[in-house]
Amino acid sequence: MVDQFAIQYQSPLRVLVVEDNPVDLTVIKSMLTGTTDNYTFLKTASTIKTALEIIEEYPIDVVILDLNLPDSQGEKTLQTVHNRFNDLTIVVNTGAYEEELGLHTLSNGAQDFLVKGRYTAYTLNKVLHFAIKRKKLETELTRTVQQVKDAQEQLLQAEKMNVVGILASGIAHEVRNPLATILYGITYLHENIRVEDKNYHHVLKNIKEATKRANDIISDLLDFSKFKKLQLDETNIHHVIKKALSLIQYEIDKKTLQIVNDFQNSIPPIKIDQNRIEQVIVNLLLNAIHATEEGKISIRTYTRTLSNDLTEIPQISRKNFTPGQQALFCSIDDSGSGIPAEDIDQVFYPFFTSRRAKGGIGLGLYVARNIIDIHKGALILKNNEDKGAQAIVVLPYR
Amino acid sequence: MKKKILLIDDEAAFTSMLKLFLESTGEYNVAVENNPHRAVNAAEIHTPHLILLDVIMPELEGSDVADRIRQHPNLNKTPIIFLTATIREDEMQESQGVIADQQFIAKLSNTDFLIDSIEKKIALTHS
Repeated sequence: MVDQFAIQYQSPLRVLVVEDNPVDLTVIKSMLTGTTDNYTFLKTASTIKTALEIIEEYPIDVVILDLNLPDSQGEKTLQTVHNRFNDLTIVVNTGAYEEELGLHTLSNGAQDFLVKGRYTAYTLNKVLHFAIKRKKLETELTRTVQQVKDAQEQLLQAEKMNVVGILASGIAHEVRNPLATILYGITYLHENIRVEDKNYHHVLKNIKEATKRANDIISDLLDFSKFKKLQLDETNIHHVIKKALSLIQYEIDKKTLQIVNDFQNSIPPIKIDQNRIEQVIVNLLLNAIHATEEGKISIRTYTRTLSNDLTEIPQISRKNFTPGQQALFCSIDDSGSGIPAEDIDQVFYPFFTSRRAKGGIGLGLYVARNIIDIHKGALILKNNEDKGAQAIVVLPYR
Repeated sequence: MKKKILLIDDEAAFTSMLKLFLESTGEYNVAVENNPHRAVNAAEIHTPHLILLDVIMPELEGSDVADRIRQHPNLNKTPIIFLTATIREDEMQESQGVIADQQFIAKLSNTDFLIDSIEKKIALTHS
């Protein structure tokens, strides 16, 4: 017996042994319960399915994991558990001649590995405690690194906002003068000329609205440096989408595009700044249109109750939401070229554009994200698995 | 009788559009001056009921032009409304465009608001 060497630990461990071989299981159980009475909580599972259920249900400190189970084999077993429960301490229990595999698991989420038949109750005990300690430190380290990265990102963002603020006030004066010229010209034409062509007033109205929108964009750019108050009203999102679509009809007509609206019936009204959200939708739609030569652009709206871990919201925006909250989703799917992998981290940066040659200035997504941010929502952008890209606006109900 | 307005702004395209718009209401005769250095001279010639004055112009700022007009014995009663591209409509809503006793109007204002402000200012001065 090795009892005399047993380390006396203060808190009992909660251990899950995942092992389908009854002999191996008996060995481990006896080692765990024989050396110390500290194992007040010991669970066993013989399949990965049961293992996952147990981890889901009980607080487990450490898992002793056999890699070859009836329903999962090899390193995939480790991957499955590690991916689903990132913060869980895992010690792999490998076959007698699988030392190399054991070593390999250390790079893939395991804290340590045991080789069957080559450990004693004493080493098992020590391995488990050290694994837990190491995992705790690793988690803390990972968290700290992430915090540093986030802080860096925020600094960079703040710096860019600063530059944008300076540029925007300069641009405001230069661009608003020609815009004002257009506005008064249009107003004059609108009120004074009688023309038979029924498109005439429609065209003028569109030019006028586009001018206003351009002015709003400039105003919004100025706003981001001072974060102006939103004009919040209970709004039907479908009206906003339809308005946005009518504003960019001319862009749609240039191509062979089918716009598919998949709107949730009787969607509850949401408190938003209509004009700004309209601008977000316009920007996202324009991106979708520019990326798609021909095919389909689908706009979908739906409400959902957010999950408890908020996994559907990107990390950076989770602070805006509370678990279990109702949220409005609006997704825009295109069937275009998608976002090149090397660009995906940069698309939200001001003045980043893949359409510089075609007149893009790179403020669309930047402005959109800022608007969504001051609405305390989230803007998600990703490539579809088959074709094209998807943008999702998530707005919380309050 | 139509009211006389003098419009002083270096942007010729803008002044010609605003003139067109204001005159189309049938209420105003609009004279335009695109060179701020000649602003006082233009005001002497036209004796307007009201002056619309751009704030940011090269060489000579709107505020300097306003000073010269207000120091002029025959023009110092003429009301001035400043036009500016650096503020926008909703920023002026609370103060109705009055900042430090001066009347400002965003260049991209609602056209009704512009007319309304002009009318009020003229009525106030000539009552």
